[in-house]
Order: sequence, then structure tokens, then C-alpha cells
Amino acid sequence: MVAIVVATHGNLSESLIETAGMIFGNMENVEQVTFRPGEGIENLLEKYTAITERFDDDSVLFLVDLFGGSPYNAAGRFVARRKKMDIVTGVNLPMLVEVLGKRLGGGTIEELVQTAKQAGTEGIKSFRDVFAQLKMANSAKEDEGDELG
Amino acid sequence: MKIKLLRIDSRLIHGQVANNWVNHVGASTIIAANDSAAKDDLRKTLLLQVAPGRTKSYVMSIAKTARCYKNPTYKNLDVLMVVETPKDVLRLMDEGVEVTQVNVGGITFKEGMTLISEAVSVSQEDVKAFQELNRRGVKLVLQQLPNTQASDFMGRLRSKGLI
Repeated sequence: MVAIVVATHGNLSESLIETAGMIFGNMENVEQVTFRPGEGIENLLEKYTAITERFDDDSVLFLVDLFGGSPYNAAGRFVARRKKMDIVTGVNLPMLVEVLGKRLGGGTIEELVQTAKQAGTEGIKSFRDVFAQLKMANSAKEDEGDELG
Repeated sequence: MKIKLLRIDSRLIHGQVANNWVNHVGASTIIAANDSAAKDDLRKTLLLQVAPGRTKSYVMSIAKTARCYKNPTYKNLDVLMVVETPKDVLRLMDEGVEVTQVNVGGITFKEGMTLISEAVSVSQEDVKAFQELNRRGVKLVLQQLPNTQASDFMGRLRSKGLI
């Protein structure tokens, strides 16, 4: 199973994983990395090393918050020489939940990266846009007969 | 109609949760069987809006759900059926729907109800309906998500001193 590291500024990673548990339930091989004021790239590299050593699979997907931020930059250095690892930026709840689901079905790191990018962007919608596309239900006509609808 | 999962969840169709269960049980269709939602155009529209994309979803009254259940056209359809209350499960059974097991997933807390798990509260009326389901031989399983622990629901009611 591909391992997942959620690495962000502050407590976001911790809360994101905890919250994903509400929707997804139990999860294995998912770790958080927080990056706090006063810490630097070296601290992050140490954390990444310690965490990935605990995983039983050397395939690791890093989900980080900001492209170009320290969690990303450190992960970039970490992942560059490790071929079975990758990073996706802009981590959000739809992304994390979808990736966990895909992983349950045995997704490879490449597939999980695709899922992450897609779910991370497709999870963003405005109510008015969606609502405008909907055909309003008409229950008066629809509660008759024995055909689905 | 093959009911792959009959779930009690007062939110009826609920984004990712519905998605997880659909994948888990391999259903192609979701039916939310609920009289008030079936009559409420806005609620119905919004419920269908959040249904998982690749699944066909319907919000129908209990009576219509039972009629569709008996329609031979849908003999091989794999369905995830969701209702709001245990009483609605009894009503489905009274209308001829065969039920052997119910997943008790989520019942939102309201004044006067007893909280029996993180996601499930019961009223006295609910307890009566659950007892009747149990009497009819329906297996009641308390489980919120496919990969969280499943436990015996009647055992839980007993341990809470509700029966």
C-alpha cells in the first residue's frame, strides 16, 4: 500500500487527517508532518526521514499545502532521488479523501497522483453554478407507478 | 431488486459517506426512500445533487420504493437503499420489501433522544421500532463507515438500558 504523508504549515496536516477520519474511517500508513515557526528545511527533512522509515512500503505520496513553501521544498529534495515517491500540492479534504479511497482499491503511486490532482480541483464548485445545471425535481408527477424516477 | 445495503441515515444521501458505501457494497443505484423528501422538490433536488456521480440516484416515497422493488424490470439491480428511521424500514417490510439486515448508520440527535454512539441517537419511538425489527428476525448492525467497527445494535440498546 502506498504510504501517504500530509505535510503543511502549522496544524493543518494534523486536523486534515483527523477530519478525513470522520468521513473515511480508519486509515493506515498515513502520517502528518507539521511545520512550525522557527523550524527550517533541515527539520522537515529529518521528519520525512523518520516517518518514511516507519512505512512498510517505499512508495510514498506527499500531499503538501503550498507549492514553493518549505514543506514542499523539503519534500522536493527528499523525493528527487527516490523514484517511487511523488508530491502533490494544494492538499485539501476532497483530495485526501479521494486518495484514501483510491488507495483502498490498490492504486499505484502514479494513479494516486492522478486522483489527487483531479479530486483536489473537482472538489471546488459554487452552489449557483451547480444549481443552474440542475433540473428541478417535480414530485407531483414522480410519485406514481412502479418505475424508478 | 437486490438490496445490497439497507441503511438508516437521517441525512439520507450524504456525499462521501454515500460514496464509500456504494463502492463497498458494489451498488449501481441509490434509493432514498422517504415520504417527506419525495414531496419536497427543493430537498429532493439538493439530495440528488450530492449523490455520487457514477451512481443512479432516486428519492422516492416508501410506497413507490416498494412498488419499484416488486417490478421485475429491476430484478437484477444492485441497490443501496437509505431511510431516515427504523419505522420506515418496518413500513417497507409491510409493503412487501424483504429485509434481513439493516445498517444503522446515523440518526441525528434531537431533544428527548438518547445518544447511543457518536453518530446514532434514538427516541422511544425508534426503540420500539427497532424491537419490532428484531422480533421479525432482522439483523441490526451499528456501523457508521465501511471500515469502522461493526457492532450488534440490540446489544448496544441493552447496554444503554433502553430495553
